[in-house]
Amino acid sequence: MKEVLAVIRMNKINPTKQALVDAGFPAFTAAKVMGRGSRPVDFELRKALTDDSAPAPEALASLAQGPRLIAKRMLSMVVPNEAVASVVKTLIAANQTGNPGDGKIFVLPVDDVARVRTGETGAKAIDEMTGR
Amino acid sequence: MIMVRAIVRPEKSAAVMQALLDAGYPAVTKMDVAGRGKQRGLKVGNVTYDELPKEMLMSVVHESDKELLLKAVMEAARTGEKGAFGDGKIFVSPVSEVYTISTGAMESGARP
Repeated sequence: MKEVLAVIRMNKINPTKQALVDAGFPAFTAAKVMGRGSRPVDFELRKALTDDSAPAPEALASLAQGPRLIAKRMLSMVVPNEAVASVVKTLIAANQTGNPGDGKIFVLPVDDVARVRTGETGAKAIDEMTGR
Repeated sequence: MIMVRAIVRPEKSAAVMQALLDAGYPAVTKMDVAGRGKQRGLKVGNVTYDELPKEMLMSVVHESDKELLLKAVMEAARTGEKGAFGDGKIFVSPVSEVYTISTGAMESGARP
């Protein structure tokens, strides 16, 4: 089994939840995280450049600072090996706007899973994540 | 690809982020966590702090960048010359696949 870890836009969480339920993967864990990607974004500079007015002094000052962190949502779900492709496809379809900042999906190996309520381990513990 | 998860002091997190940027690893996800280590928290007089606030920095990089990345994190996160208890831990785990959502493409192992 594999853990699918997706870092997505804050405002895409609801469409993503719906898409995952529709695809038959209801279970996930979400966390609010901050992050930056491989392409630094300078919001002040971007705003200053898109405005018609001359760059504000604070925009020039922010050039010296490191890239700011952006609020993101991180979703984690553990699925059987054969379901990974389907989950990744669902996540990409629900989150793709085509712009940088849509996020990343990481697939990590998981050794074992246990369901606390029953003590089941292995594939039985994630029997709700089989897809449609 | 490998995932590096570093648990560092909250006050050192900005320094580590800057060190990662300078070392050429801009992509980092940061989250607030609480935990304890082998000192079982912190004892100040009669008060025991069982869970200490930390920040977890997560980055996924190519295997060949592991040493450089770990060096950058450790040097920035260490307290003083010798370090102190509570400076944190770094965990490295394998990553099977990486996708970029905006392009929908699977990343190869190569650096961008």
